[in-house]
Amino acid sequence: MKKLLLLLVTNLALFASMQIDTTYSTLGAIAKKVGGDFVKVTVLGSNKYDPHFIVPKPSLLAKLRRADLLIINGGGLEIGWLPPLLRNAHNPKINEGSLGFLDASQSLELIDKPTTVSRAFGDVHAEGNPHYITDPYTVPIIAEAIASRLAQIDPIHKFAYKQNLQNFKKEWSSFLTQFDAKMAQCSTKEVVQYHELFNYFLKRYNIENIGTIEPLPGIAPSSKHTLELIMLIKQNKVKKILQDVYHERKTAQFIAAKTGAKVVVIPHDLGAVGGKTLEDFYNNIASKICK
Amino acid sequence: MPKKIALGVLCAISLSANNTALEKRVELLEKKLQELQIQNTQAKYQTRSSSFSQNAYLPDIALILNMSSIARNIDNTQYENFAIPGFITTGSAQLPFNKNRGFNLNYAELALHSVVDPYFEAFAMLHIHPDHTAIGEGYVKTTSLPYGLGIKAGKFKSSFGRINAKHQHAWNFDEQPIIYKALFGPGSIGDMGISTQWVAPTDTYVMVGVELLQGSNKRSFGNTQKNNLTVAYLKTSLDITQNLSTLTGISFARGKNLFGGDTDIYNVELTMQQQFNSYSSLTWQSEALYRKRQNIATDAKQAGFYTQLVYKYNKNYATGIRYDGIVKNSVDDLQKYTVMAQYHPFPMSRLRLSYSYDKTKVIDGSRKNIHTVMLTLNIAAGAHGAHDY
Repeated sequence: MKKLLLLLVTNLALFASMQIDTTYSTLGAIAKKVGGDFVKVTVLGSNKYDPHFIVPKPSLLAKLRRADLLIINGGGLEIGWLPPLLRNAHNPKINEGSLGFLDASQSLELIDKPTTVSRAFGDVHAEGNPHYITDPYTVPIIAEAIASRLAQIDPIHKFAYKQNLQNFKKEWSSFLTQFDAKMAQCSTKEVVQYHELFNYFLKRYNIENIGTIEPLPGIAPSSKHTLELIMLIKQNKVKKILQDVYHERKTAQFIAAKTGAKVVVIPHDLGAVGGKTLEDFYNNIASKICK
Repeated sequence: MPKKIALGVLCAISLSANNTALEKRVELLEKKLQELQIQNTQAKYQTRSSSFSQNAYLPDIALILNMSSIARNIDNTQYENFAIPGFITTGSAQLPFNKNRGFNLNYAELALHSVVDPYFEAFAMLHIHPDHTAIGEGYVKTTSLPYGLGIKAGKFKSSFGRINAKHQHAWNFDEQPIIYKALFGPGSIGDMGISTQWVAPTDTYVMVGVELLQGSNKRSFGNTQKNNLTVAYLKTSLDITQNLSTLTGISFARGKNLFGGDTDIYNVELTMQQQFNSYSSLTWQSEALYRKRQNIATDAKQAGFYTQLVYKYNKNYATGIRYDGIVKNSVDDLQKYTVMAQYHPFPMSRLRLSYSYDKTKVIDGSRKNIHTVMLTLNIAAGAHGAHDY
């Protein structure tokens, strides 16, 4: 009987919590930190797949239908899969322009904004490079945006969110101090990557991106471009090729065999290459690039 | 001696005091630096356009072009006059697409989409065919209704069945399934009316919808003295594993036919998709349709289906097969087989080569099997929205 009551009470508590949907896993982890016990977080896009091409499964509609807050990465990253889902979920709470819709990119300054936008240059994002999440300095800013939005949607727990935010920022600040110290020791100064996924991280820690394996964003590697890249790697004595989990690995391995550079598989989002916490995510990037 | 020791101790104390002071300052500086870096990452206020510019409110505009080149064992005049026994009489087939041996420009379409205000969004598909221009679709949809409701009004493709609501350029094969062509003609059910859909607040996706339509589709309905067609459907989806998703649905349509009776059409659909990685998947999609017409002497009850398997190898290549069949009809051994291979240089463009063996047609009074090899090019340029599942 007691167990039954407990079950009932916990269920009620679950009902009382805010349902947050995030498009990707790192955003989900930040939302959980800020929301604490008052939120239930669902991540829509698998961290094993290309964030540009999440399959718009109808089951995601059921998740969006009941969300109180939808947090998206923004910068055009979801444009290929989220809009039709959002349209068919019939949830006015999370429509663009509503309080329940939060585009995390809008509290950040995006880099690599193209001066000319045309699909002749491949899959470029007019808003700039949307892969900012690899920079650990974006975390507290996003946390702050989420906290202030949660306080508006769920004012009863306003103070709890504020407290969670303060605790998290303190925690993150000491993590950043350690992290920066570690990165100061990093001997890697030049890398190449498959897609421009890690530009924010590289810029933050003064590591130069020499080139990308894909000739243009979203275009599969060509032999001509690969040969040019091999030349560049040799000229600049690049030691690391940053590979993500979702692109083919043959090209990177081929380049590695020709140049002696090492292929390292780096997570583009929390949990893509093991790791459960935000700290794990960034430590994993750092250790793979630097070691 | 004790004096010296005392001095030493004093020195040591002051030194360590100095050290802690220094440490404090370093710590403070580090904090400051961190704050500055955070501030630097934050967006700065920017002015973007002229004070009265409305450019930002322009609708999304996309241009869709579809063209083909065809080789067929039947010449064009004969092909135009085909019949499908029980469904299409000689010469009454409408063939707006891929009709001629040689070259065809099937259509240019202008797709316009815009949010109207906080309550509505609008969509229009202007279908420009070499001989005529038509409003393929033009509708307004609510965005802010509570309880999971969404209402659509205007002219739109009905959500009856699986393929009906999809635009032709989003199909996996260039030609319409035979049962759709036979029951509805090339436009499928695209009609004037109102649709109401409701998404249930459940863990599993459940959607039900009811549409009140004019019934202007002459092949199955056609009596438009008042709004005479009602469509209803229920769709649900289950993820069997993280990578194996399904969508099933049942649909029903009842409308007044040109003979003064009712036409009832039932549809069952099933789609299963196994995803192998971000760019590769295997999709099995099938639909079966059954039609019952009143006031018609022969072929009052007819049924057919199609089933297709599409394998996406990677971002660029895909291949598929489809089998079409008519199973209940005065002539019921009507089948069609199609294979296709397609190449996407980029998500916006597609080249598709297909071969079909069609055993559904009667030409000049006798059954004639048709072999068709077709190469199509489709592009979607501009601000073209993403497709759904």
